[in-house]
Amino acid sequence: MAYPNELIRNFSIIAHIDHGKSTLADRMIEQTDTVAMRDMSEQLLDSMDIERERGITIKSSAVRMFYTHTDGKRYMFNLIDTPGHVDFNYEVSRALAACEGAVLVVDATQGIEAQTLANVYLAVDNGLEVVPVINKIDLPSAEPERTAQEIEDVIGIEAHNAPKISAKSGLNVNQVLAAVVNTVPPPVGDPDAPLTALVFDCFYDNYKGALTYVRVFDGTVKEGVRIRSMATGHEFEVTEVGVFTPAPMTVDELTAGEVGYIAASIKSVAETKVGDTITSADRPAKKPLPGYKQANPMVFCGIYPADGAQYGDLRDALDKLRLNDASLSYEQETSNALGYGFRCGFLGLLHMEIVQERLEREFDLDLVTTAPSVIYKIRLTSGEEEMIDNPSNLPPVTEIEQLEEPVVNASIMTPSEYVGSLMELCQERRGIFMDMNYIEEARVRLHYVLPLNEIIYDFFDQLKSRSRGYASFDYELKGYEKSDLVKLDFLLNGDVCDALSTIVHRDRAYAKGRAVAEKLCEVIPRQQFEIPVQAAIGGKIIARETVRAVRKDVLAKCYGGDITRKKKLLEKQKEGKKRMRQVGTVSLPSDAFMSVLRIN
Amino acid sequence: MAGIYLHIPFCVRKCAYCDFVSFAEGSVPQSYVDALLTELELVARGGSYPAAFDTVFFGGGTPSLLSGEQMQQIMRGLKERFDIRESAEISMESNPGTTTPEKLAAYRAAGINRLSIGLQSTHDVLLKSVGRIHTFEQFLSTLQSARKACFTNINVDLMHGLPNQTVDQYLDSIKTVCDLGVQHISAYSLILEEHTPLFDCVERGEVKPPDEDLVADMQDAGIDLLEQRGYHRYEISNFAQDGYVCRHNLNYWHNGEYLGFGIAAHGVVRDRKWTRYANASTLDEYMRLLSRGKRPLAETIRLAPRDEMFECVMLGFRLIRGIDRATFLARFGLDIVEAYAYAFEQLRKRGWLIEAEDRVALNRGGLDFQNEALGFFM
Repeated sequence: MAYPNELIRNFSIIAHIDHGKSTLADRMIEQTDTVAMRDMSEQLLDSMDIERERGITIKSSAVRMFYTHTDGKRYMFNLIDTPGHVDFNYEVSRALAACEGAVLVVDATQGIEAQTLANVYLAVDNGLEVVPVINKIDLPSAEPERTAQEIEDVIGIEAHNAPKISAKSGLNVNQVLAAVVNTVPPPVGDPDAPLTALVFDCFYDNYKGALTYVRVFDGTVKEGVRIRSMATGHEFEVTEVGVFTPAPMTVDELTAGEVGYIAASIKSVAETKVGDTITSADRPAKKPLPGYKQANPMVFCGIYPADGAQYGDLRDALDKLRLNDASLSYEQETSNALGYGFRCGFLGLLHMEIVQERLEREFDLDLVTTAPSVIYKIRLTSGEEEMIDNPSNLPPVTEIEQLEEPVVNASIMTPSEYVGSLMELCQERRGIFMDMNYIEEARVRLHYVLPLNEIIYDFFDQLKSRSRGYASFDYELKGYEKSDLVKLDFLLNGDVCDALSTIVHRDRAYAKGRAVAEKLCEVIPRQQFEIPVQAAIGGKIIARETVRAVRKDVLAKCYGGDITRKKKLLEKQKEGKKRMRQVGTVSLPSDAFMSVLRIN
Repeated sequence: MAGIYLHIPFCVRKCAYCDFVSFAEGSVPQSYVDALLTELELVARGGSYPAAFDTVFFGGGTPSLLSGEQMQQIMRGLKERFDIRESAEISMESNPGTTTPEKLAAYRAAGINRLSIGLQSTHDVLLKSVGRIHTFEQFLSTLQSARKACFTNINVDLMHGLPNQTVDQYLDSIKTVCDLGVQHISAYSLILEEHTPLFDCVERGEVKPPDEDLVADMQDAGIDLLEQRGYHRYEISNFAQDGYVCRHNLNYWHNGEYLGFGIAAHGVVRDRKWTRYANASTLDEYMRLLSRGKRPLAETIRLAPRDEMFECVMLGFRLIRGIDRATFLARFGLDIVEAYAYAFEQLRKRGWLIEAEDRVALNRGGLDFQNEALGFFM
């Protein structure tokens, strides 16, 4: 019944963003006749709208294909797609752990980029065989030989015989399929041993509950079996097992070496997390597969409904998103400016943006978001330690012995001509230069230690604009370091507006305070009284600007023909006022809260 | 009280700030005058309208583009089909660049007894900058001719908040016009309306929009000066010598009935419900409907009593005298202060209200923030 292991190949495709990973996946699916051509729409594996629009893969998925090799044998390919962004590093590493090999796609016009390296290291760490593939050779600026040399020099794997392909046109994709058979080892596992299956992704289906994507290492799983999550101890009865072709298709069983999904009336994806090991409840494995860890959010922001009455809708939307995204965390918080909302934690910046966008798009919510923050470690004078993720919760200065902030190891790859301006950028962001090496004559890898809070807003955009889009960037958390940080508050007409508070380095507090106060003056509409806008550090005012009072708010004329129109105007004005946030006596437009960020 | 409005949507050239419906023509096409007459006939035969009318108003556009003969035709047409009272106030707007002594005399002879002259400013530089077609000198000659033609009820329109206008220039315009002894002055703030050349210039940064505070200074100083000179502010932007308030406009602010004729004209009648209507706003559509023997309506809205009530507040609070409580009670069966208890509480809290036995009104502070004040009634 079980497919012979020597004819199975489990692999992922890894690449820097835009190097053609998803396109190659599409071509492989096409060329193995997995999906009829007419069902192909571009980038098949990416099933969410946002993924398609942004051309990135957020949730990984798995596809089973059958490929007839030149030896005449029919191989079962399980292609496990991985998210291409650093925020989802842990998820990538679990997806890779489910494979024996990885197809490394490198763009022949770009060469190796920061995420290429990060992904290769992950693959090698997980003991995978790497199959290099050089893509986009149809482009005039492609330099396949040079790219091959770069792969050999930087990564240290043989690449001159690597398939040189155009995923776009399908050219030489058959060589990739052949290389997978030849290079990726077949899985080894004992179908009769106790079940161990690695969860590498979860997906919430409205009818079946949470579907867990698994790689079975040992044993067999089928309908009716009781399974246990080794991380949470929860037990479930399997209602269905299947594979993705890429549409889900029920199969009788999944056995050692195979990849597929398990449905077991699991209510939420939080109950079986990525990295978890699933075993049999009756005959459990002795120990779980290695590598499970809790994915911890690194970036936080407040999310509030623009219209306070939508609080309940926002909560429901977050609950639903969480069914599908176990790494999203949130808890209720209240702000004097924004009312009831949620403090949300994200794996990183992209994750934050994606969640915000999904909330607005899929749930049709209007949101107000506050400036993103990181988690600060505070040692109090009392000797206690506290972690805070919301600047407004920072204790008074007198109670703080020491503040620590998270720092990251950042790796930047760039053509050498941009090194100067990128080093300047890192310097501005309080970066500490570690080292620099030449990947090849004109390409450099810079290594900096940067405070996380300096890169959570527009660092990536800056990096791109200063390098004309050529530089790439990758980071991993290094740990916490002591830092001279202060809380910057803003007062509107004398009242502190908590949603505007931020934590900044002391050296930059004055400049930032002034800039934000000026910006606020631009975005706060004039009201019936003068509004002082002040920036303060620990109660000391460091900047003051004023929003002048409005003196007239009246329609100059209104005669017969105007009445209906003027009535509409008044209604619009009233509607606009309703969308304002009341902070003490001052009305603030929603975008005021983001304006704190748009300061250079 | 009931009025009739006739729209003459033609101008020699459109002013840079104007967003009214009007077309550039050197004269009014006779076909339009004929169409107006057809519309009068259609409404008179089939419409629901008040028994008699107290005011008639020719607005534009530039009604003074009508020839004396055309005006005669329209007035004759009106009087044949509707009961226009003997004592009726019959106004027309005019642009100083388009009048002649002959035409003015003919208008007067046709029954026009109130002339409104669009001056806007006594400073030629400012006139030119907003695309007015006339000079101050031309205005003076229009005024002189009007008086010779026996117009004894004359309004002059003035504007403040023109680009680069100073407070002194504005006050100077007011003084000059007061000295000329006209009976009525309308003093407006320039409003930057979208889809106007001036708006586009400001968007492109070619023209600096007037500073809000400066505009407020002009307005405040203007009101004081006009009052001092015996022109009483009776509406937010309107000032009159005793006995010369514009009855036609007053009817709008009392939310009274009026019929509208011509392209894009509006009207409101009590046709069981309080019913507002608007005519087609393009020449083609207006003509097409009339040629098929249909009223050229683009829109008819029947308002719920609640909305009619709000209109009375929105319009009535434009008047310095405010809203007559007995009239409101008679119209809606509700005392206004009770009907809008919350709103009145808010106005009191802000010190914007004048509350008397017989009327309620906004004081000067309340008038300045009228939009805000009306928000509480919505």
